[in-house]
Amino acid sequence: MPNLPQKKVGIVACSGEEMAEGTVTRLAALKVLEELRPNETVTICLPLFLAGGEGDRAFARFYPTIAVDGCALRCAARATEQYSGKPAASVVVTDIVAERGIGPVAGLRRLNEAGQQAVAETAATVADLVDTLLDKKWSRREGRFLESEPVMQEEAVAKSAASCACGSGIPVQTVQVNGQQVTLIALPPLLAQFKQMGKRPSPETAAELLAQVKIYNDVPDAMESQYQEVLAQEYALFCAEGVAA
Amino acid sequence: MNEKIVIVPCSGIGKTYGTVSREAAYEVIEELRPESAQLVPLSMLVLGEENARAAVAASPAITIDGCKLACATKMVQESGGTIAQDFAVLDVFRRNRKLKPQGIAELNEGGQQLAHALAEEVAAVVDKLNGKVETGDEKLRSSAPCF
Repeated sequence: MPNLPQKKVGIVACSGEEMAEGTVTRLAALKVLEELRPNETVTICLPLFLAGGEGDRAFARFYPTIAVDGCALRCAARATEQYSGKPAASVVVTDIVAERGIGPVAGLRRLNEAGQQAVAETAATVADLVDTLLDKKWSRREGRFLESEPVMQEEAVAKSAASCACGSGIPVQTVQVNGQQVTLIALPPLLAQFKQMGKRPSPETAAELLAQVKIYNDVPDAMESQYQEVLAQEYALFCAEGVAA
Repeated sequence: MNEKIVIVPCSGIGKTYGTVSREAAYEVIEELRPESAQLVPLSMLVLGEENARAAVAASPAITIDGCKLACATKMVQESGGTIAQDFAVLDVFRRNRKLKPQGIAELNEGGQQLAHALAEEVAAVVDKLNGKVETGDEKLRSSAPCF
Protein backbone atom coordinates (compact mmCIF):
# COMPACT_ATOMS: atom_id res chain seq x y z
CA MET A 1 0.00 0.00 0.00
CA PRO A 2 1.28 3.52 -0.70
CA ASN A 3 2.37 5.83 2.06
CA LEU A 4 -0.88 7.77 2.18
CA PRO A 5 -2.41 9.49 5.19
CA GLN A 6 -3.65 6.92 7.72
CA LYS A 7 -7.34 6.57 8.24
CA LYS A 8 -8.54 9.59 10.14
CA VAL A 9 -11.82 11.37 10.51
CA GLY A 10 -12.22 14.76 8.84
CA ILE A 11 -13.84 17.60 10.74
CA VAL A 12 -15.42 20.44 8.77
CA ALA A 13 -16.78 23.32 10.86
CA CYS A 14 -19.07 25.93 9.36
CA SER A 15 -17.23 28.59 11.39
CA GLY A 16 -20.19 30.92 10.79
CA GLU A 17 -18.72 34.23 11.85
CA GLU A 18 -22.06 36.02 12.07
CA MET A 19 -23.51 33.98 14.94
CA ALA A 20 -22.33 32.75 18.34
CA GLU A 21 -23.16 29.17 17.39
CA GLY A 22 -20.61 29.51 14.59
CA THR A 23 -18.00 30.35 17.20
CA VAL A 24 -19.12 27.21 19.06
CA THR A 25 -18.43 25.11 15.96
CA ARG A 26 -14.90 26.50 15.67
CA LEU A 27 -14.02 26.00 19.31
CA ALA A 28 -15.64 22.56 19.49
CA ALA A 29 -13.79 21.41 16.37
CA LEU A 30 -10.53 22.74 17.79
CA LYS A 31 -11.15 20.95 21.07
CA VAL A 32 -11.56 17.65 19.24
CA LEU A 33 -8.57 18.28 16.96
CA GLU A 34 -6.20 19.46 19.67
CA GLU A 35 -7.35 17.83 22.90
CA LEU A 36 -9.86 15.03 22.57
CA ARG A 37 -8.80 13.15 19.41
CA PRO A 38 -5.59 14.81 18.13
CA ASN A 39 -4.21 11.68 16.47
CA GLU A 40 -7.42 10.56 14.85
CA THR A 41 -8.70 13.75 13.25
CA VAL A 42 -7.82 16.26 10.56
CA THR A 43 -9.57 19.38 9.35
CA ILE A 44 -9.91 21.48 6.25
CA CYS A 45 -11.31 24.96 5.71
CA LEU A 46 -14.75 24.76 4.13
CA PRO A 47 -13.98 27.41 1.44
CA LEU A 48 -11.15 25.27 0.09
CA PHE A 49 -13.71 23.02 -1.55
CA LEU A 50 -14.17 25.88 -3.99
CA ALA A 51 -11.04 27.99 -3.60
CA GLY A 52 -8.65 25.05 -3.46
CA GLY A 53 -7.71 22.28 -5.88
CA GLU A 54 -8.85 18.77 -6.71
CA GLY A 55 -6.94 17.41 -3.73
CA ASP A 56 -8.97 19.61 -1.40
CA ARG A 57 -12.21 18.58 -3.05
CA ALA A 58 -11.29 14.92 -2.53
CA PHE A 59 -11.23 15.48 1.25
CA ALA A 60 -14.63 14.01 2.16
CA ARG A 61 -14.13 11.04 -0.15
CA PHE A 62 -10.77 10.28 1.38
CA TYR A 63 -11.75 10.79 5.00
CA PRO A 64 -15.10 9.95 6.57
CA THR A 65 -16.11 13.48 7.53
CA ILE A 66 -18.16 15.03 10.32
CA ALA A 67 -19.81 18.34 9.45
CA VAL A 68 -20.21 20.67 12.43
CA ASP A 69 -22.80 23.37 11.78
CA GLY A 70 -24.00 26.25 13.89
CA CYS A 71 -27.56 26.44 12.60
CA ALA A 72 -30.20 24.69 10.54
CA LEU A 73 -28.85 26.22 7.34
CA ARG A 74 -26.13 23.54 7.62
CA CYS A 75 -23.63 25.27 5.34
CA ALA A 76 -20.83 22.86 6.24
CA ALA A 77 -22.84 19.69 5.64
CA ARG A 78 -24.48 20.89 2.46
CA ALA A 79 -21.40 22.46 0.91
CA THR A 80 -19.28 19.43 1.80
CA GLU A 81 -21.77 17.15 0.09
CA GLN A 82 -22.08 19.49 -2.89
CA TYR A 83 -18.38 19.95 -3.56
CA SER A 84 -16.51 17.06 -1.92
CA GLY A 85 -18.52 14.09 -0.71
CA LYS A 86 -21.41 13.23 1.55
CA PRO A 87 -20.43 13.75 5.19
CA ALA A 88 -20.45 10.55 7.20
CA ALA A 89 -22.12 12.38 10.07
CA SER A 90 -23.51 15.78 10.81
CA VAL A 91 -24.06 17.74 14.01
CA VAL A 92 -25.89 21.04 14.46
CA VAL A 93 -25.12 23.18 17.50
CA THR A 94 -28.63 24.60 17.82
CA ASP A 95 -29.98 21.03 18.00
CA ILE A 96 -27.50 20.07 20.71
CA VAL A 97 -28.31 23.23 22.67
CA ALA A 98 -32.03 22.46 22.50
CA GLU A 99 -31.66 18.75 23.31
CA ARG A 100 -29.39 19.33 26.31
CA GLY A 101 -31.38 22.27 27.66
CA ILE A 102 -28.45 24.63 27.40
CA GLY A 103 -29.37 28.30 27.82
CA PRO A 104 -29.15 30.96 25.12
CA VAL A 105 -25.73 30.99 23.49
CA ALA A 106 -24.26 34.46 23.02
CA GLY A 107 -20.97 36.22 22.31
CA LEU A 108 -19.36 36.17 18.89
CA ARG A 109 -15.89 36.87 20.25
CA ARG A 110 -16.24 35.75 23.85
CA LEU A 111 -18.83 33.07 24.45
CA ASN A 112 -21.03 33.28 27.51
CA GLU A 113 -21.30 30.39 29.95
CA ALA A 114 -23.97 28.65 27.88
CA GLY A 115 -21.72 28.99 24.87
CA GLN A 116 -18.84 27.37 26.72
CA GLN A 117 -21.14 24.53 27.73
CA ALA A 118 -22.27 24.16 24.14
CA VAL A 119 -18.62 23.88 23.07
CA ALA A 120 -18.02 21.08 25.59
CA GLU A 121 -21.18 19.20 24.62
CA THR A 122 -20.60 19.57 20.90
CA ALA A 123 -16.97 18.51 21.19
CA ALA A 124 -17.92 15.45 23.23
CA THR A 125 -20.56 14.49 20.66
CA VAL A 126 -18.08 14.87 17.80
CA ALA A 127 -15.44 12.84 19.68
CA ASP A 128 -17.95 10.02 20.17
CA LEU A 129 -18.74 10.11 16.48
CA VAL A 130 -15.03 9.96 15.65
CA ASP A 131 -14.70 6.75 17.66
CA THR A 132 -17.73 5.24 15.98
CA LEU A 133 -16.57 6.15 12.49
CA LEU A 134 -13.08 4.78 13.06
CA ASP A 135 -14.58 1.40 13.88
CA LYS A 136 -16.19 1.19 10.45
CA LYS A 137 -14.60 0.22 7.18
CA TRP A 138 -14.30 3.22 4.88
CA SER A 139 -13.88 2.95 1.11
CA ARG A 140 -11.72 5.74 -0.23
CA ARG A 141 -12.63 4.67 -3.73
CA GLU A 142 -16.36 5.03 -3.18
CA GLY A 143 -16.29 7.66 -0.46
CA ARG A 144 -18.63 5.71 1.79
CA PHE A 145 -18.71 2.97 4.40
CA LEU A 146 -18.61 -0.60 3.18
CA GLU A 147 -21.06 -1.88 5.79
CA SER A 148 -24.62 -2.26 4.67
CA GLU A 149 -26.12 -0.07 7.40
CA PRO A 150 -26.89 3.51 6.41
CA VAL A 151 -24.42 6.23 7.25
CA MET A 152 -25.16 7.96 10.54
CA GLN A 153 -26.87 11.29 10.34
CA GLU A 154 -28.65 13.37 12.97
CA GLU A 155 -30.20 10.31 14.65
CA ALA A 156 -26.76 9.29 15.87
CA VAL A 157 -26.24 12.71 17.34
CA ALA A 158 -29.53 12.59 19.17
CA LYS A 159 -28.30 9.44 20.94
CA SER A 160 -25.79 10.53 22.26
CA ALA A 161 -2.52 20.18 18.11
CA ALA A 162 -5.06 20.59 15.24
CA SER A 163 -4.19 18.73 12.09
CA CYS A 164 -4.93 21.29 9.44
CA ALA A 165 -5.18 20.01 5.88
CA CYS A 166 -5.15 23.51 4.36
CA GLY A 167 -2.83 23.61 1.39
CA SER A 168 -1.88 19.97 1.61
CA GLY A 169 -5.00 18.31 0.31
CA ILE A 170 -5.17 14.76 -0.89
CA PRO A 171 -2.48 13.89 -3.46
CA VAL A 172 -4.07 13.76 -6.90
CA GLN A 173 -2.94 13.85 -10.52
CA THR A 174 -4.94 14.67 -13.62
CA VAL A 175 -4.41 12.49 -16.69
CA GLN A 176 -6.01 12.16 -20.12
CA VAL A 177 -8.00 8.98 -20.72
CA ASN A 178 -9.63 8.71 -24.13
CA GLY A 179 -9.34 12.47 -24.51
CA GLN A 180 -11.10 13.10 -21.21
CA GLN A 181 -9.42 14.67 -18.20
CA VAL A 182 -9.55 12.32 -15.23
CA THR A 183 -8.30 13.19 -11.75
CA LEU A 184 -6.81 10.21 -9.99
CA ILE A 185 -6.59 10.24 -6.21
CA ALA A 186 -3.28 8.99 -4.77
CA LEU A 187 -1.48 8.58 -8.10
CA PRO A 188 1.56 10.77 -7.19
CA PRO A 189 2.56 8.73 -4.10
CA LEU A 190 1.85 5.49 -5.97
CA LEU A 191 4.24 6.47 -8.74
CA ALA A 192 6.86 7.49 -6.20
CA GLN A 193 6.45 4.28 -4.26
CA PHE A 194 6.74 2.08 -7.34
CA LYS A 195 9.90 3.88 -8.38
CA GLN A 196 11.31 3.58 -4.88
CA MET A 197 10.64 -0.15 -5.03
CA GLY A 198 12.75 -0.31 -8.18
CA LYS A 199 9.93 -1.36 -10.48
CA ARG A 200 10.82 -0.85 -14.14
CA PRO A 201 8.23 0.47 -16.59
CA SER A 202 6.58 -2.57 -18.15
CA PRO A 203 3.10 -3.96 -18.90
CA GLU A 204 3.30 -5.96 -15.64
CA THR A 205 4.14 -2.85 -13.62
CA ALA A 206 1.31 -0.95 -15.30
CA ALA A 207 -1.11 -3.71 -14.33
CA GLU A 208 0.10 -3.55 -10.72
CA LEU A 209 -0.24 0.20 -10.77
CA LEU A 210 -3.79 -0.08 -12.09
CA ALA A 211 -4.68 -2.45 -9.25
CA GLN A 212 -3.42 0.10 -6.73
CA VAL A 213 -5.13 3.01 -8.46
CA LYS A 214 -8.43 1.11 -8.31
CA ILE A 215 -8.22 1.07 -4.52
CA TYR A 216 -8.71 4.82 -4.47
CA ASN A 217 -10.54 5.53 -7.70
CA ASP A 218 -13.57 4.33 -9.58
CA VAL A 219 -12.21 2.77 -12.78
CA PRO A 220 -14.96 1.49 -15.10
CA ASP A 221 -14.40 -2.14 -16.09
CA ALA A 222 -14.74 -1.33 -19.78
CA MET A 223 -12.03 1.32 -19.51
CA GLU A 224 -9.38 -0.69 -17.66
CA SER A 225 -7.15 -1.21 -20.68
CA GLN A 226 -7.18 2.51 -21.49
CA TYR A 227 -6.38 3.37 -17.88
CA GLN A 228 -3.56 0.86 -17.82
CA GLU A 229 -2.10 2.32 -21.00
CA VAL A 230 -2.22 5.83 -19.54
CA LEU A 231 -0.67 4.65 -16.28
CA ALA A 232 2.13 2.97 -18.22
CA GLN A 233 2.85 6.26 -19.98
CA GLU A 234 2.68 8.28 -16.76
CA TYR A 235 4.98 5.89 -14.95
CA ALA A 236 7.51 5.87 -17.78
CA LEU A 237 7.44 9.67 -17.78
CA PHE A 238 7.78 9.76 -14.00
CA CYS A 239 10.76 7.44 -14.05
CA ALA A 240 12.37 9.47 -16.82
CA GLU A 241 11.82 12.82 -15.16
CA GLY A 242 11.58 11.74 -11.55
CA VAL A 243 8.77 14.18 -11.00
CA ALA A 244 5.04 13.58 -10.83
CA ALA A 245 3.25 16.15 -12.98
CA MET B 1 -25.03 55.54 1.54
CA ASN B 2 -27.45 52.69 2.20
CA GLU B 3 -25.39 49.52 1.95
CA LYS B 4 -22.73 48.77 4.50
CA ILE B 5 -19.25 47.89 3.38
CA VAL B 6 -18.86 44.12 3.46
CA ILE B 7 -16.06 42.56 5.50
CA VAL B 8 -15.23 38.93 4.72
CA PRO B 9 -12.62 37.35 7.01
CA CYS B 10 -10.90 34.00 6.66
CA SER B 11 -12.80 31.15 8.35
CA GLY B 12 -9.75 29.01 9.06
CA ILE B 13 -9.52 27.22 12.38
CA GLY B 14 -6.09 25.66 12.07
CA LYS B 15 -3.78 28.66 12.21
CA THR B 16 -3.26 31.78 14.33
CA TYR B 17 -3.61 34.16 11.40
CA GLY B 18 -7.15 32.93 10.74
CA THR B 19 -8.11 33.92 14.26
CA VAL B 20 -6.39 37.29 13.83
CA SER B 21 -8.41 37.92 10.66
CA ARG B 22 -11.68 37.17 12.44
CA GLU B 23 -10.83 39.17 15.53
CA ALA B 24 -9.99 42.17 13.37
CA ALA B 25 -13.26 41.83 11.44
CA TYR B 26 -15.24 41.63 14.67
CA GLU B 27 -13.52 44.71 16.03
CA VAL B 28 -14.44 46.67 12.90
CA ILE B 29 -18.11 45.70 12.84
CA GLU B 30 -18.67 45.80 16.61
CA GLU B 31 -16.50 48.68 17.78
CA LEU B 32 -14.80 50.75 15.10
CA ARG B 33 -17.37 51.05 12.30
CA PRO B 34 -20.59 49.30 13.39
CA GLU B 35 -22.77 51.65 11.35
CA SER B 36 -20.88 51.41 8.09
CA ALA B 37 -19.51 47.86 7.94
CA GLN B 38 -21.08 44.41 8.06
CA LEU B 39 -19.64 40.92 8.22
CA VAL B 40 -20.52 38.27 5.65
CA PRO B 41 -19.58 34.71 6.65
CA LEU B 42 -17.51 32.76 4.19
CA SER B 43 -19.46 29.54 4.73
CA MET B 44 -22.61 31.15 3.33
CA LEU B 45 -20.73 32.28 0.24
CA VAL B 46 -19.44 28.74 -0.23
CA LEU B 47 -22.99 27.44 -0.08
CA GLY B 48 -24.15 30.19 -2.43
CA GLU B 49 -26.68 31.43 0.10
CA GLU B 50 -28.86 34.08 -1.51
CA ASN B 51 -28.60 36.82 1.12
CA ALA B 52 -24.83 36.50 1.38
CA ARG B 53 -24.42 36.71 -2.39
CA ALA B 54 -26.74 39.69 -2.52
CA ALA B 55 -24.71 41.45 0.17
CA VAL B 56 -21.42 41.10 -1.70
CA ALA B 57 -23.09 42.03 -4.97
CA ALA B 58 -24.54 45.20 -3.50
CA SER B 59 -21.50 46.62 -1.80
CA PRO B 60 -17.72 46.71 -2.17
CA ALA B 61 -15.99 44.08 -0.06
CA ILE B 62 -12.89 44.10 2.08
CA THR B 63 -11.44 40.63 2.42
CA ILE B 64 -9.04 39.48 5.13
CA ASP B 65 -7.11 36.31 4.38
CA GLY B 66 -5.22 34.27 6.92
CA CYS B 67 -2.98 32.43 4.48
CA LYS B 68 -1.78 32.47 0.91
CA LEU B 69 -4.69 30.34 -0.27
CA ALA B 70 -6.77 33.53 -0.01
CA CYS B 71 -10.13 31.78 0.35
CA ALA B 72 -11.97 34.97 1.33
CA THR B 73 -10.77 36.88 -1.70
CA LYS B 74 -11.42 34.01 -4.08
CA MET B 75 -14.91 33.36 -2.72
CA VAL B 76 -15.98 37.00 -3.03
CA GLN B 77 -14.76 36.97 -6.61
CA GLU B 78 -16.58 33.68 -7.25
CA SER B 79 -19.73 35.21 -5.79
CA GLY B 80 -19.64 38.13 -8.20
CA GLY B 81 -18.51 40.70 -5.66
CA THR B 82 -16.18 43.66 -6.09
CA ILE B 83 -13.10 43.57 -3.91
CA ALA B 84 -12.13 47.02 -2.78
CA GLN B 85 -9.16 45.86 -0.76
CA ASP B 86 -7.76 42.45 0.02
CA PHE B 87 -5.79 42.23 3.24
CA ALA B 88 -3.40 39.41 4.08
CA VAL B 89 -2.66 39.02 7.78
CA LEU B 90 0.94 38.12 6.95
CA ASP B 91 1.46 41.50 5.29
CA VAL B 92 0.09 43.29 8.33
CA PHE B 93 2.38 41.20 10.51
CA ARG B 94 5.34 42.29 8.37
CA ARG B 95 4.42 45.87 9.13
CA ASN B 96 4.18 45.06 12.83
CA ARG B 97 7.03 42.64 13.38
CA LYS B 98 7.39 43.43 17.05
CA LEU B 99 4.07 41.66 17.66
CA LYS B 100 4.28 37.90 18.08
CA PRO B 101 0.81 36.43 17.57
CA GLN B 102 0.11 33.03 19.08
CA GLY B 103 -2.95 30.95 19.87
CA ILE B 104 -5.94 29.84 17.86
CA ALA B 105 -8.86 29.41 20.24
CA GLU B 106 -7.60 32.41 22.18
CA LEU B 107 -5.06 34.92 20.94
CA ASN B 108 -2.19 36.05 23.11
CA GLU B 109 -1.52 39.73 23.72
CA GLY B 110 0.57 40.02 20.55
CA GLY B 111 -2.20 38.44 18.51
CA GLN B 112 -4.78 40.81 19.90
CA GLN B 113 -2.56 43.79 19.18
CA LEU B 114 -1.99 42.57 15.64
CA ALA B 115 -5.74 42.14 15.18
CA HIS B 116 -6.24 45.67 16.45
CA ALA B 117 -3.65 47.06 14.05
CA LEU B 118 -5.34 45.21 11.20
CA ALA B 119 -8.76 46.44 12.30
CA GLU B 120 -7.54 50.03 12.21
CA GLU B 121 -6.31 49.53 8.64
CA VAL B 122 -9.61 47.98 7.63
CA ALA B 123 -11.57 50.79 9.26
CA ALA B 124 -9.51 53.33 7.33
CA VAL B 125 -10.44 51.59 4.09
CA VAL B 126 -14.11 51.57 5.12
CA ASP B 127 -13.91 55.33 5.63
CA LYS B 128 -12.21 55.87 2.32
CA LEU B 129 -14.75 53.72 0.50
CA ASN B 130 -17.63 55.57 2.07
CA GLY B 131 -16.12 58.82 0.89
CA LYS B 132 -15.68 57.45 -2.61
CA VAL B 133 -19.13 55.96 -2.78
CA GLU B 134 -20.78 59.13 -1.48
CA THR B 135 -19.04 61.50 -3.89
CA GLY B 136 -19.08 59.04 -6.75
CA ASP B 137 -15.98 60.71 -8.15
CA GLU B 138 -13.99 57.55 -8.55
CA LYS B 139 -15.22 54.16 -9.62
CA LEU B 140 -13.99 51.23 -7.59
CA ARG B 141 -11.82 48.80 -9.40
CA SER B 142 -11.70 45.10 -8.65
CA SER B 143 -8.80 44.16 -6.37
CA ALA B 144 -7.38 47.66 -6.58
CA PRO B 145 -5.69 48.88 -3.42
CA CYS B 146 -7.24 51.98 -1.96
CA PHE B 147 -3.99 53.40 -0.70
